[in-house]
Amino acid sequence: MNIRRARAEDLPGMQACNLRNLPENYTMKYFMSPFYLTYLYHCATWPSISYIAEDKGRIVGYILAKMEEETAEGEPPHGHVTSISVLRSYRRLGIAKKLMLRSQESMATIYRASHVSLHVRKSNRAALSLYRDTLGFEVRDIEQKYYADGEDAYAMRLTLEHD
Amino acid sequence: MSKRGTTPNRFLPPKESSLFKELLSLYETKQLKKGLKTADQILKKYPEHGETLCMKGLVLVHMGRREEGIELVRKGIRMDLASHIVWHVFGLIQKGEKKYEEALKSYTQALRFDKENMNLLRDVAQLQTQLRLYDGLVETRYMLLRLRPTARQNWVALAVAYHLSGNLAEAKKVLVEYEKTLKNVPHYDVEHSEMLLYHVRVLEELEQHSEALALLDVSAKDRAIVDKTAIMEVRARLLSKLRSDEAEHAWKVLIEHNPECYDYYKGYLSNQGLNIDENPAEALAILREFSTQFPKANVPRRLSLSLASGEEFQALAEPYVLSALKKGIPSLFVDVKSLYTDPAKLKSFEDIAESIHKDTSPDTSVASSSVSTEPTTYLWSLYFLAQHYSYLSQYAKALEILDLALAHTPTLPELYTCRARTLKRAGDFHGASRAMEDARLLDGQDRFLNTKSAKYRMRAGLIDEASALLGLFTKKDAPSPGADLEEMQSLFYLLEEGDAHRRAGRLNLALKKYAAVQRVFDDYEDDQYDFHGYSLRKFTVNIYLNVLDWEDHLRSHPSYIKAALAASRIYVDIFDDPKLASGNVDGDVTDAEKKAKKKAKKAQKEKEDAAKKSAAAAPATSTNEDKGLDVPYKDDDPDGMKLLSTPEPLELAWKMLQPLTTLAQDNIEVLIAIYDVAIRRRKYLQAAQALARARALDSEYPDLHVRIVHARHFVSVLPEPMPAPVGPIFIETLGKILSEGVSLETYNSQFLQNHSTSAQAILAAAQTSRVLGAPLQEVEDLIFTTLRDEVRLDVKTALEISSFLKKIKSPRVNELHQALDAKFTLSTAFKTPDELAKLREWVLTTTSNSSSERTGNGAANVENEAELGKEAGKSV
Repeated sequence: MNIRRARAEDLPGMQACNLRNLPENYTMKYFMSPFYLTYLYHCATWPSISYIAEDKGRIVGYILAKMEEETAEGEPPHGHVTSISVLRSYRRLGIAKKLMLRSQESMATIYRASHVSLHVRKSNRAALSLYRDTLGFEVRDIEQKYYADGEDAYAMRLTLEHD
Repeated sequence: MSKRGTTPNRFLPPKESSLFKELLSLYETKQLKKGLKTADQILKKYPEHGETLCMKGLVLVHMGRREEGIELVRKGIRMDLASHIVWHVFGLIQKGEKKYEEALKSYTQALRFDKENMNLLRDVAQLQTQLRLYDGLVETRYMLLRLRPTARQNWVALAVAYHLSGNLAEAKKVLVEYEKTLKNVPHYDVEHSEMLLYHVRVLEELEQHSEALALLDVSAKDRAIVDKTAIMEVRARLLSKLRSDEAEHAWKVLIEHNPECYDYYKGYLSNQGLNIDENPAEALAILREFSTQFPKANVPRRLSLSLASGEEFQALAEPYVLSALKKGIPSLFVDVKSLYTDPAKLKSFEDIAESIHKDTSPDTSVASSSVSTEPTTYLWSLYFLAQHYSYLSQYAKALEILDLALAHTPTLPELYTCRARTLKRAGDFHGASRAMEDARLLDGQDRFLNTKSAKYRMRAGLIDEASALLGLFTKKDAPSPGADLEEMQSLFYLLEEGDAHRRAGRLNLALKKYAAVQRVFDDYEDDQYDFHGYSLRKFTVNIYLNVLDWEDHLRSHPSYIKAALAASRIYVDIFDDPKLASGNVDGDVTDAEKKAKKKAKKAQKEKEDAAKKSAAAAPATSTNEDKGLDVPYKDDDPDGMKLLSTPEPLELAWKMLQPLTTLAQDNIEVLIAIYDVAIRRRKYLQAAQALARARALDSEYPDLHVRIVHARHFVSVLPEPMPAPVGPIFIETLGKILSEGVSLETYNSQFLQNHSTSAQAILAAAQTSRVLGAPLQEVEDLIFTTLRDEVRLDVKTALEISSFLKKIKSPRVNELHQALDAKFTLSTAFKTPDELAKLREWVLTTTSNSSSERTGNGAANVENEAELGKEAGKSV
């Protein structure tokens, strides 16, 4: 297992991992289709806050993150997790947590992010429990009909600490 | 677009002139309807005004009226050949058609009439980058900087252009000059930080390591470079290159920063002068320290397993396996399997897992057990052992263990996926599909299992049924699940379905899918275009250079290689036997199969009709909608019949293989495919070169043996000798591979003797005999020797042997199948067509009835850490 920053050559592997794991990419608001355009755009804009996990060259998990561009005047910048995914066959290794921590650390040091936000489907209990119980995120809000099929999303956030 | 010319036919009176300006600005803001009106207003009075004609044409293309628009653009150009606008418009259109070279020519023409037009120059720079014309790029970027030195990105862009053109020294100069122009850069300016990191990188590539380190350190101290991880990584690397005493510490800091990064350990060890192969003992001691320091990190423990041997290995492997089994880590076997190349390690893993299994077995008395008797540990040890024996081709044993495990816990999908894989390996594609569907049914919301089950259905030839499963997770408004997956660039899907069609003899549909793979890579290549501008505006130069490099090696991706090989083999077959292209290719089909085919066809048609309907039902597009300039992809060959009946199969094959001549030189299968196409295209040097290279990789490779003889035989039966200079070189190259004195028959029988227990080699020898014109019966007799007990034969090779017999129209195919069916007791691969039809029904009737729709939408697509948390406390 190897956890490192995402690079251009990881792109097809990340896309494959995304397609194998995430249901219905198109429901994610700011997702360009196909995935790799979103990724290229993230990469070219915030190159240092997305990470991957690989096993002998195969991408088995990734976190794709961005900085929120539309922040109100005087409000500190914050990060956002666009997509996080670990292959079913690589669970229980703590990969999601490790990816999340790496990304958060980069958001905080490079962009001085005050917090990181993400959305999760209301029905996705496993993900909710990971974000809340393991990673310390809090539910801030419910976004009505966030997904294209009409499902609500929890808007979650985690305050980042600075040294 | 300024500097209006005064050529007579370009003249417009004030009213029209201001209308034209309005037209330009309407176009800029994509107010297409209004723009069209304005253009028509001008053209009413001046119907031959070239620039207006072009602008109107451009607007029309944006509105989706492409042909009409392009017609006007062409007319406009003829009316005013000396206008930069008409050439600019033409360039834009060509770029939309992905004709980058032609577009660049038009832009160059436009620049002749408006030398300092920034818009033109910027587009030219993007085209030059796309075409990798780096010398021209330097000139363009230089011009842009000269015109606008106050724009920061123009400096960076010039440095990057020099860098790409290979002139690092100039890149450095530009960066130094650029930094002099900067005043009052605020702290935490991410763009500036990226720039400085780029400067350090240029210095590093120039091998000016001290200077690079000095710049890095001072920038880090000033907080001008804010990327802490990058600072640490570059610092460690530079210190190592400088052989500094500080290097060791720098690598240690990195490992502390991220103990799960393999590269850091590698960097640390190599900095200590330790080669993993030569000094395993010392390296192991270091890794042990790291393991103690970071007890939760996997990398040092796993790396130690690669380095250790003997008793030391045993001592490390035991706790590694036990802890993973206790935690129930499903990837344990996949994780350690690469160590199986060492037979001693393989045996160790077997012993360890067997012993844990014994100790945790419910039958064992608790008192005698030294390890925990957790029932889950027992279960995961069974899972590991099943994978282990399955991997070693001991299928019956693996299945037996899985039965035990399933009796213990019938709800763990992994047990069914392992069962499915085992059956697949044993050649029971139908049972495998059923088992995978059983896994899926345990968790209908899991896309991973859904994808697997679809894949296994395709392997069993159930393509429509696979599609139905995939459709549970694809867009509901897509014409078909496959269409959505193709749009999402699912390489896995395209390859699996292509292969499934190929196996079923539907070569047209197979080619269609392989062509779709090719198009995914074409898209990857095209879509970098925008980033030539965007990345520089964002100053994300470091990742941008990485993207360019990746794009240059794009087609070395395994999926591209697979598609290229599969397609080129079909094209070669079509060339050799044009009858293959005439449509109905599969000879003996049963009624059931015919029926199924008809049904599939009907379903396909229904799908298409539905797609057409939904397209027609889409709201009429308003004329103001911008459809862009890119030519939309139009599929005018939905069933691949055009691909199949191409008059130039070899040219299509070559188009796919050509990029691999530089990108996959170490792939013997690629080299053989290149030979097959080149010899038929009469590119004899290319053919000889491919053979020579392949031989250097593996001289005994069975498929290569066939080609070596084929080449020699090919020359000997030519009606006239190959003309010089190619002929003599070809013959000389061949002579080095196989000296001319040797008779080909003797050479072939020697090969056979040397590899008498390899089924692959026997098949190759039979194919070679066929090339040399041996009678059918002799070839058949040779093929049937693969059934002997002393010959190593697996299902995969047996399938190849069966295809070969079919290809040479042997009457003994059924006889072979009967023998193979008796030999591979678990396999369904060699059943009769009637039996197969029944099997297919069996797979579906037993599963599709209970097939559950996905319930809810949000699948649990991240690992369940809560579960891990529960178990972690008990481990180690």
